[in-house]
Amino acid sequence: MEARGNPIKRLFAIRGMGQVLTVTLGLIVLCIVFSFLNPLFLSGRNIANLSRQIVPILLVGISQSYVLITGNIDLSIGSVLGMSCMISATLMTKGVGPWLSVALTVVSCLVIGLINGVLVAKCKLPPFIATLGTMTIARGIAQIANNNYNTDAIGDAAQGFRDFFYYGRVLGIYSPVILAAALWLVFNFLLGRTRTGRHIYAVGSNIEASRLSGVNVNRTVIIAYLVSAFCAGVVGLMTTATSGMGAMDAGNMYEMYAVAASVIGGVSTLGGQGILLGTVIGAAIWSVLQNGLQFAGAPVAIRNIVIGSIVIVSVLLDIVIRSGRWSFRSKKIS
Amino acid sequence: MSEYVVEMEHVDKRFPGVHALDDVSFQLRPGEVMALLGENGAGKSTLMKVLGGVYQRDAGTVRVFDREVGDLTPKLAQELGIAMIHQELNMCTQLSVAENIFLGRELARNGLLSNREMHRRSREVLDRLKIDIDPDTVVGDISVSKQQMVEIAKALQANAKILIMDEPTSALTAKEIEDLFAIIRLLRSEGHGIVYISHRLEELQHIVDRVTIMRDGKFICAMDYADATMDMIIENMVGREIKEKFPHVECGRGRKLFEVRHLNAGRMVRDINFELYEGEIVGIAGLMGAGRTEITRAIFGVDPSASGEITLEGKPVRIVKAEDAIRSGIVLAPEDRKRDGLCTKLSVRENIALPNLDLLCNAAGVVNRRRESEMVRKTIAGFSVKLTGPEMIAGNLSGGNQQKVVVGKWLARDSKVVIFDEPTRGIDVAAKVEIYHLMNRLKRNGIGVLFVSSEMPEVLGMADRIIVVCDGRITGVFPRSEATQTKVLEYAMKFENKSDRLEVAGR
Repeated sequence: MEARGNPIKRLFAIRGMGQVLTVTLGLIVLCIVFSFLNPLFLSGRNIANLSRQIVPILLVGISQSYVLITGNIDLSIGSVLGMSCMISATLMTKGVGPWLSVALTVVSCLVIGLINGVLVAKCKLPPFIATLGTMTIARGIAQIANNNYNTDAIGDAAQGFRDFFYYGRVLGIYSPVILAAALWLVFNFLLGRTRTGRHIYAVGSNIEASRLSGVNVNRTVIIAYLVSAFCAGVVGLMTTATSGMGAMDAGNMYEMYAVAASVIGGVSTLGGQGILLGTVIGAAIWSVLQNGLQFAGAPVAIRNIVIGSIVIVSVLLDIVIRSGRWSFRSKKIS
Repeated sequence: MSEYVVEMEHVDKRFPGVHALDDVSFQLRPGEVMALLGENGAGKSTLMKVLGGVYQRDAGTVRVFDREVGDLTPKLAQELGIAMIHQELNMCTQLSVAENIFLGRELARNGLLSNREMHRRSREVLDRLKIDIDPDTVVGDISVSKQQMVEIAKALQANAKILIMDEPTSALTAKEIEDLFAIIRLLRSEGHGIVYISHRLEELQHIVDRVTIMRDGKFICAMDYADATMDMIIENMVGREIKEKFPHVECGRGRKLFEVRHLNAGRMVRDINFELYEGEIVGIAGLMGAGRTEITRAIFGVDPSASGEITLEGKPVRIVKAEDAIRSGIVLAPEDRKRDGLCTKLSVRENIALPNLDLLCNAAGVVNRRRESEMVRKTIAGFSVKLTGPEMIAGNLSGGNQQKVVVGKWLARDSKVVIFDEPTRGIDVAAKVEIYHLMNRLKRNGIGVLFVSSEMPEVLGMADRIIVVCDGRITGVFPRSEATQTKVLEYAMKFENKSDRLEVAGR
């Protein structure tokens, strides 16, 4: 392999890095602006707080990024999160051991992911419809888990569980941050350095070419949906650990936050493009906006409008850039 | 050990309504470039798709490297060493060259991709082919010709011994063709068998060793290229039996209706000039990819044209979008009826009304039902469309009747020029004849008919004047009395001599 220039050049040589660095610049600008609006924004306490706020968005962002890169979408993420929260909390209040509850919860989330994958890959359902269906189903399961009530407190027996998923600290770093970092490393490795990851990009880039090259397209799409459901499930467990109970509406709208984190971070809704480092930055921008606007005294409604607009602009930019660059329209005529 | 790497014998393949391959035999030796020649629809691509496992043959034997093979799949064909370089390139444009070369066969150690190793081997195979591309380049960023070379590199990396190239030079410049030929010669010297499908006969002299000619799904002949002359090749390619009778009618040529001057739109529409008179059908003939459809699209305003004047009944008309063409009275019956011509899920009534809503609605935009049903009744009766009623769903009509609705909806609004793009594709003989009668009726009513078709007999049988196009240019215009199949084909293959400059040393 030929030697390639200085480290900065090497950094830019990584595909998708240019976009990530641009967005990072935006993140820095945002932080500067917010710190001017309210000096407390950059206080140690708020930074620690922010780091925990980012975690759920980052994890569901990983979910959505995996699916988006295959050229599909997962709308069931928020409901799977809610289902995970309710199932785990219900099991624990009914006296099932916390770790067994965790295992059962993860399995049930993976079942939803499997259903998503099979519906989209094998049954050829449009991903929008398939996951809209499972989104409703998963929310229904969340409601039925404890007979249409939020659960009671999961109790002291579950303290280890709560520490592991939310309250614990290692070397001063909150456990959810460590957990998220670990999961990010695993899934970043899977996406960037393994055959499965390569196939996820290939399928999103050109499904027919992938099939003709011997890629198992169905398996690849199913794996992406499994990863998606898994990460959403973990966030559900964190939600249970945070509040110490199960809430039926947990994770409401999170599928949209997941899209936001992904596309702001440069993951293309058209498939085949994006890296998980971008998703980190995207999730950070989402959290900084929420947190910063709150600090600046903006009401929730304004925050929603701002974030929604940013999502639309990001996707618009992606489509404009892509269609400008790879326009094959005129070739397809004859 | 047989001298052939591929032997196909008595191969038969039918599609609904078409006998695509009729008892075809084909042989390929190692270290030779075999040109597979034939007119549009002769069965060349179908035969190669059978070999590549894209289609399953109905009958016949296929032997690859002396091994008889049963039903082929793309994967199985690949494992046998057969690679197709597709006309429309099949690449993951967001992935890098190396990633595409190893797609589906990635190297990995303990689950970890060996990117360096793949990079190195990609470099090796690219170097071997003397292709100057960095394996890390994203495929979407390189030219079509380079993408094609990457496909060849990918095939070689997969140990392909038999390469099938379908019109590989159609999108390339002279320099790029030269590079491609250099690669083909290299592969030949390494003992690969290469099937080369092309309409560009003038290219053959630079690389081809033998030719196989097909016509109408049948094997016609195979010979050494050295023994063949251009005339022999063309003679064998044409001479399709004309099975159908064409109901051509004579009616006097009237005044000039429509004129196109210096129309340019991209590479496939270059300086197009022609006129169309009342009472005549003008046919546009040309090979696949000659730019026929592009010309109709540029006239109709679907694709932007760079320059050109269009005159209708002596008055210049400006067409920038389809709506302008329709307003001025130029309408198009597109090639793909189901996709572009009809809303197949709507009723016949709705389809006929759709382009005429401006005539049917009052100022507030409310459809006048009475006027609508009157228009629909007239159209159905006027074109004798066979249906159960105006509410019948358009998609359930037969192909011929669908075509009548497509044309009928336009003529409900007094159109003056009707462009037919491949109106008879994929429909049975009876329906074809109905469409011929339809065109004749338009002609008798003083409507100018422009008729684009890849079926040469059809154009010769129906048109009063035939315009031959090649590579987006008009290469010849013949009145009906002078047009013969041989002549039309000859002019349809008048490519600009891109490969003139090539040295013939490789032969």
